[in-house]
Amino acid sequence: MDRLLYLALGTAFGFVLYRSGASDYDTVQRMFLLQDFQLWGVIGTAVAITAPGLRLLRRHGLSASGAALKITPKPRNPGNWLGGAIFGVGWSITGMCPGPIFVNLGAGRLHALAALAGALLGAALLAALYPRLAPVLGLPVSKG
Amino acid sequence: MGESSGFWPWWQGGTAIAVITLLLLWLGNQRLGLSTGLENLCALVLRTPHLQRAEVAGSARWRLPFLGGLVLGGALAALASAGGLTPNLATPLLDARFAFAPAEKFAWMFAGGLLIGFGTRLSNGCTSGHGIFGLSNFECGSLEATLAFLAAGMLTTFLVYGTGSS
Repeated sequence: MDRLLYLALGTAFGFVLYRSGASDYDTVQRMFLLQDFQLWGVIGTAVAITAPGLRLLRRHGLSASGAALKITPKPRNPGNWLGGAIFGVGWSITGMCPGPIFVNLGAGRLHALAALAGALLGAALLAALYPRLAPVLGLPVSKG
Repeated sequence: MGESSGFWPWWQGGTAIAVITLLLLWLGNQRLGLSTGLENLCALVLRTPHLQRAEVAGSARWRLPFLGGLVLGGALAALASAGGLTPNLATPLLDARFAFAPAEKFAWMFAGGLLIGFGTRLSNGCTSGHGIFGLSNFECGSLEATLAFLAAGMLTTFLVYGTGSS
Protein backbone atom coordinates (compact mmCIF):
# COMPACT_ATOMS: atom_id res chain seq x y z
CA MET A 1 0.00 0.00 0.00
CA ASP A 2 2.81 2.25 1.09
CA ARG A 3 4.75 1.49 -2.04
CA LEU A 4 1.79 2.39 -4.25
CA LEU A 5 1.64 5.81 -2.61
CA TYR A 6 5.33 6.44 -3.35
CA LEU A 7 4.96 5.11 -6.88
CA ALA A 8 2.02 7.48 -7.42
CA LEU A 9 3.83 10.50 -5.96
CA GLY A 10 6.92 9.66 -8.03
CA THR A 11 4.81 9.36 -11.17
CA ALA A 12 3.24 12.75 -10.54
CA PHE A 13 6.67 14.25 -9.83
CA GLY A 14 8.14 12.77 -13.01
CA PHE A 15 5.23 14.06 -15.08
CA VAL A 16 5.62 17.54 -13.59
CA LEU A 17 9.41 17.62 -14.11
CA TYR A 18 8.89 16.75 -17.78
CA ARG A 19 6.13 19.29 -18.31
CA SER A 20 8.08 22.01 -16.48
CA GLY A 21 11.05 21.65 -18.82
CA ALA A 22 13.37 20.40 -16.05
CA SER A 23 14.23 17.28 -18.05
CA ASP A 24 14.76 19.16 -21.32
CA TYR A 25 18.43 19.60 -22.28
CA ASP A 26 17.96 22.89 -24.12
CA THR A 27 15.79 24.46 -21.41
CA VAL A 28 18.43 23.63 -18.77
CA GLN A 29 21.17 25.24 -20.88
CA ARG A 30 19.05 28.35 -21.43
CA MET A 31 18.51 28.58 -17.68
CA PHE A 32 22.28 28.53 -17.13
CA LEU A 33 22.80 31.04 -19.96
CA LEU A 34 20.18 33.34 -18.33
CA GLN A 35 18.23 33.27 -21.60
CA ASP A 36 15.08 31.67 -20.24
CA PHE A 37 13.33 32.39 -16.94
CA GLN A 38 11.32 29.10 -17.02
CA LEU A 39 13.38 26.90 -14.67
CA TRP A 40 14.43 29.79 -12.41
CA GLY A 41 10.71 30.45 -12.01
CA VAL A 42 9.92 26.77 -11.42
CA ILE A 43 12.56 26.37 -8.68
CA GLY A 44 11.76 29.76 -7.14
CA THR A 45 8.02 29.07 -7.00
CA ALA A 46 8.61 25.59 -5.57
CA VAL A 47 10.70 27.04 -2.72
CA ALA A 48 8.36 30.00 -2.18
CA ILE A 49 5.43 27.61 -1.59
CA THR A 50 7.24 24.73 0.11
CA ALA A 51 8.78 27.02 2.76
CA PRO A 52 5.50 28.26 4.30
CA GLY A 53 4.01 24.77 3.79
CA LEU A 54 6.82 23.27 5.86
CA ARG A 55 6.26 25.87 8.54
CA LEU A 56 2.56 24.99 8.72
CA LEU A 57 3.21 21.25 8.81
CA ARG A 58 5.89 21.68 11.45
CA ARG A 59 3.50 23.70 13.62
CA HIS A 60 0.88 20.96 13.17
CA GLY A 61 3.62 18.47 14.11
CA LEU A 62 1.96 15.30 12.83
CA SER A 63 1.96 13.36 9.57
CA ALA A 64 -1.31 12.11 8.08
CA SER A 65 -1.02 8.83 10.00
CA GLY A 66 -0.69 10.73 13.29
CA ALA A 67 3.03 9.98 13.71
CA ALA A 68 5.39 12.74 14.81
CA LEU A 69 6.61 14.62 11.76
CA LYS A 70 10.31 14.07 11.17
CA ILE A 71 12.25 16.75 9.31
CA THR A 72 15.95 16.02 9.80
CA PRO A 73 18.23 18.82 8.61
CA LYS A 74 21.20 17.68 6.55
CA PRO A 75 24.64 18.01 8.20
CA ARG A 76 26.57 21.10 7.10
CA ASN A 77 30.17 20.55 5.96
CA PRO A 78 32.55 21.56 3.15
CA GLY A 79 31.25 18.60 1.13
CA ASN A 80 28.04 20.58 0.55
CA TRP A 81 29.62 23.23 -1.68
CA LEU A 82 32.50 21.12 -3.02
CA GLY A 83 30.19 18.28 -4.06
CA GLY A 84 27.64 20.83 -5.25
CA ALA A 85 30.20 22.41 -7.56
CA ILE A 86 31.14 19.00 -9.02
CA PHE A 87 27.46 18.15 -9.48
CA GLY A 88 26.79 21.50 -11.19
CA VAL A 89 29.34 20.70 -13.90
CA GLY A 90 27.61 17.34 -14.48
CA TRP A 91 24.18 18.98 -14.53
CA SER A 92 25.35 21.35 -17.27
CA ILE A 93 27.07 18.61 -19.29
CA THR A 94 24.09 16.25 -19.31
CA GLY A 95 21.28 18.79 -18.96
CA MET A 96 19.93 16.56 -16.19
CA CYS A 97 19.94 16.57 -12.43
CA PRO A 98 19.24 13.21 -10.73
CA GLY A 99 15.41 13.24 -10.96
CA PRO A 100 15.31 14.06 -14.68
CA ILE A 101 17.75 11.22 -15.45
CA PHE A 102 14.95 8.82 -14.46
CA VAL A 103 12.26 10.93 -16.15
CA ASN A 104 14.22 10.92 -19.42
CA LEU A 105 14.73 7.16 -19.20
CA GLY A 106 10.96 6.77 -19.23
CA ALA A 107 10.52 9.41 -21.93
CA GLY A 108 12.70 7.43 -24.35
CA ARG A 109 15.75 9.71 -24.30
CA LEU A 110 18.34 7.00 -24.67
CA HIS A 111 21.32 9.17 -23.67
CA ALA A 112 19.83 9.20 -20.13
CA LEU A 113 20.99 5.57 -19.89
CA ALA A 114 24.60 6.71 -20.25
CA ALA A 115 24.05 9.48 -17.68
CA LEU A 116 22.52 6.94 -15.26
CA ALA A 117 25.42 4.51 -15.73
CA GLY A 118 27.86 7.35 -15.01
CA ALA A 119 25.87 8.57 -12.01
CA LEU A 120 25.73 5.09 -10.46
CA LEU A 121 29.46 4.62 -10.96
CA GLY A 122 30.12 8.10 -9.53
CA ALA A 123 28.01 7.35 -6.44
CA ALA A 124 29.79 4.00 -6.00
CA LEU A 125 33.19 5.72 -6.30
CA LEU A 126 32.28 8.29 -3.66
CA ALA A 127 31.08 5.50 -1.36
CA ALA A 128 34.37 3.64 -1.83
CA LEU A 129 36.45 6.78 -1.17
CA TYR A 130 34.23 8.05 1.66
CA PRO A 131 36.32 6.64 4.55
CA ARG A 132 39.35 8.53 3.20
CA LEU A 133 37.49 11.76 2.33
CA ALA A 134 35.49 11.99 5.57
CA PRO A 135 38.33 13.00 7.93
CA VAL A 136 39.77 15.48 5.41
CA LEU A 137 36.45 17.24 4.72
CA GLY A 138 34.83 16.81 8.14
CA LEU A 139 32.05 14.58 6.80
CA PRO A 140 29.94 12.62 9.32
CA VAL A 141 30.93 9.02 10.10
CA SER A 142 28.59 6.61 8.28
CA LYS A 143 26.49 4.73 10.81
CA GLY A 144 24.88 1.40 9.93
CA MET B 1 15.01 35.98 -21.04
CA GLY B 2 12.29 34.76 -23.41
CA GLU B 3 9.30 32.51 -22.85
CA SER B 4 9.56 28.73 -23.27
CA SER B 5 6.96 27.14 -25.48
CA GLY B 6 5.34 23.76 -24.97
CA PHE B 7 5.83 23.63 -21.21
CA TRP B 8 3.58 24.54 -18.34
CA PRO B 9 3.93 28.11 -17.12
CA TRP B 10 6.73 28.24 -14.53
CA TRP B 11 4.42 29.12 -11.65
CA GLN B 12 2.28 26.07 -12.39
CA GLY B 13 5.27 23.70 -12.49
CA GLY B 14 6.72 25.19 -9.32
CA THR B 15 3.39 24.96 -7.49
CA ALA B 16 2.96 21.31 -8.51
CA ILE B 17 6.48 20.49 -7.26
CA ALA B 18 5.74 22.17 -3.92
CA VAL B 19 2.44 20.28 -3.53
CA ILE B 20 4.11 16.90 -4.20
CA THR B 21 6.99 17.75 -1.82
CA LEU B 22 4.52 18.62 0.95
CA LEU B 23 2.35 15.55 0.25
CA LEU B 24 5.42 13.30 0.46
CA LEU B 25 6.16 14.77 3.88
CA TRP B 26 2.60 14.80 5.17
CA LEU B 27 1.41 11.43 3.80
CA GLY B 28 4.68 9.51 3.94
CA ASN B 29 6.69 11.45 6.55
CA GLN B 30 9.61 11.53 4.10
CA ARG B 31 11.95 14.34 3.21
CA LEU B 32 12.16 14.84 -0.58
CA GLY B 33 15.62 14.02 -1.93
CA LEU B 34 16.41 12.00 -5.01
CA SER B 35 20.18 11.60 -5.26
CA THR B 36 20.30 9.17 -2.31
CA GLY B 37 18.34 6.99 -4.74
CA LEU B 38 21.60 6.49 -6.67
CA GLU B 39 22.99 4.90 -3.50
CA ASN B 40 19.80 2.88 -2.96
CA LEU B 41 20.39 1.42 -6.43
CA CYS B 42 24.12 0.83 -5.84
CA ALA B 43 23.34 -0.88 -2.51
CA LEU B 44 21.28 -3.49 -4.37
CA VAL B 45 24.50 -4.98 -5.72
CA LEU B 46 27.43 -3.51 -3.72
CA ARG B 47 28.45 -4.21 -0.12
CA THR B 48 30.52 -1.03 0.36
CA PRO B 49 30.19 -0.08 4.09
CA HIS B 50 29.17 3.52 3.33
CA LEU B 51 26.24 2.19 1.28
CA GLN B 52 25.02 0.12 4.24
CA ARG B 53 24.42 3.15 6.46
CA ALA B 54 20.99 3.68 8.00
CA GLU B 55 20.14 6.66 5.79
CA VAL B 56 20.41 4.48 2.68
CA ALA B 57 19.10 1.18 4.03
CA GLY B 58 16.13 2.85 5.71
CA SER B 59 15.00 4.81 2.67
CA ALA B 60 15.01 2.19 -0.10
CA ARG B 61 11.45 1.25 0.91
CA TRP B 62 10.05 4.57 -0.28
CA ARG B 63 12.70 5.88 -2.64
CA LEU B 64 12.90 2.93 -5.03
CA PRO B 65 9.14 3.02 -5.80
CA PHE B 66 9.39 6.81 -6.12
CA LEU B 67 12.22 6.47 -8.67
CA GLY B 68 10.14 3.90 -10.55
CA GLY B 69 7.38 6.50 -10.57
CA LEU B 70 9.72 9.08 -12.10
CA VAL B 71 10.36 6.72 -15.03
CA LEU B 72 6.64 6.05 -15.40
CA GLY B 73 5.80 9.76 -15.14
CA GLY B 74 8.36 10.57 -17.84
CA ALA B 75 6.81 7.94 -20.10
CA LEU B 76 3.28 9.24 -19.53
CA ALA B 77 4.32 12.86 -20.12
CA ALA B 78 6.09 11.90 -23.35
CA LEU B 79 3.04 9.90 -24.50
CA ALA B 80 0.85 12.93 -23.85
CA SER B 81 3.18 15.26 -25.76
CA ALA B 82 3.05 16.13 -29.43
CA GLY B 83 6.01 13.92 -30.35
CA GLY B 84 4.74 10.88 -28.44
CA LEU B 85 7.01 8.31 -26.82
CA THR B 86 9.70 7.75 -29.45
CA PRO B 87 13.20 6.58 -28.52
CA ASN B 88 15.60 9.39 -29.43
CA LEU B 89 18.92 11.09 -28.74
CA ALA B 90 17.71 14.63 -29.32
CA THR B 91 19.57 17.46 -27.59
CA PRO B 92 19.31 20.22 -30.23
CA LEU B 93 21.70 22.79 -28.72
CA LEU B 94 24.38 20.17 -28.05
CA ASP B 95 23.97 18.72 -31.54
CA ALA B 96 24.35 22.16 -33.11
CA ARG B 97 27.48 22.80 -31.02
CA PHE B 98 29.39 19.52 -31.48
CA ALA B 99 27.61 17.25 -34.01
CA PHE B 100 28.47 14.23 -31.85
CA ALA B 101 28.13 10.70 -33.22
CA PRO B 102 25.90 8.58 -30.93
CA ALA B 103 28.90 6.91 -29.24
CA GLU B 104 30.43 10.33 -28.55
CA LYS B 105 27.18 11.60 -27.07
CA PHE B 106 26.98 8.55 -24.81
CA ALA B 107 30.55 9.21 -23.64
CA TRP B 108 29.70 12.90 -22.98
CA MET B 109 26.62 11.92 -20.99
CA PHE B 110 28.49 9.20 -19.10
CA ALA B 111 31.21 11.67 -18.09
CA GLY B 112 28.60 14.17 -16.92
CA GLY B 113 26.81 11.39 -15.05
CA LEU B 114 29.99 10.50 -13.18
CA LEU B 115 30.21 14.08 -11.88
CA ILE B 116 26.51 14.02 -10.94
CA GLY B 117 26.85 10.79 -8.96
CA PHE B 118 30.09 11.71 -7.22
CA GLY B 119 29.15 15.35 -6.63
CA THR B 120 25.62 14.87 -5.32
CA ARG B 121 26.71 12.20 -2.88
CA LEU B 122 29.65 14.27 -1.65
CA SER B 123 27.28 17.21 -1.31
CA ASN B 124 24.68 14.94 0.33
CA GLY B 125 21.90 16.22 -1.89
CA CYS B 126 20.87 17.58 -5.27
CA THR B 127 18.37 20.02 -6.73
CA SER B 128 15.52 18.37 -4.83
CA GLY B 129 17.05 17.66 -1.41
CA HIS B 130 19.14 20.84 -1.17
CA GLY B 131 17.57 23.16 -3.76
CA ILE B 132 13.92 22.61 -2.93
CA PHE B 133 13.62 20.98 0.50
CA GLY B 134 16.80 22.31 2.13
CA LEU B 135 16.29 25.90 0.98
CA SER B 136 12.63 25.78 2.02
CA ASN B 137 13.80 24.55 5.44
CA PHE B 138 16.39 27.39 5.67
CA GLU B 139 19.40 25.07 5.96
CA CYS B 140 22.81 26.76 5.54
CA GLY B 141 24.49 23.70 4.02
CA SER B 142 21.73 23.50 1.42
CA LEU B 143 22.14 27.17 0.54
CA GLU B 144 25.90 26.64 0.06
CA ALA B 145 25.28 23.53 -2.06
CA THR B 146 22.62 25.26 -4.18
CA LEU B 147 24.75 28.34 -4.84
CA ALA B 148 27.66 26.05 -5.74
CA PHE B 149 25.79 23.85 -8.21
CA LEU B 150 24.02 26.78 -9.87
CA ALA B 151 27.29 28.72 -10.21
CA ALA B 152 29.19 25.68 -11.51
CA GLY B 153 26.39 24.89 -13.95
CA MET B 154 26.35 28.44 -15.29
CA LEU B 155 30.13 28.53 -15.62
CA THR B 156 30.21 25.19 -17.45
CA THR B 157 27.41 26.12 -19.83
CA PHE B 158 29.09 29.46 -20.58
CA LEU B 159 32.34 27.60 -21.30
CA VAL B 160 30.58 25.13 -23.61
CA TYR B 161 28.38 27.61 -25.45
CA GLY B 162 30.04 30.96 -24.98
CA THR B 163 27.92 34.02 -24.44
CA GLY B 164 26.92 34.54 -28.05
CA SER B 165 24.88 31.37 -28.75
CA SER B 166 21.18 31.56 -29.48
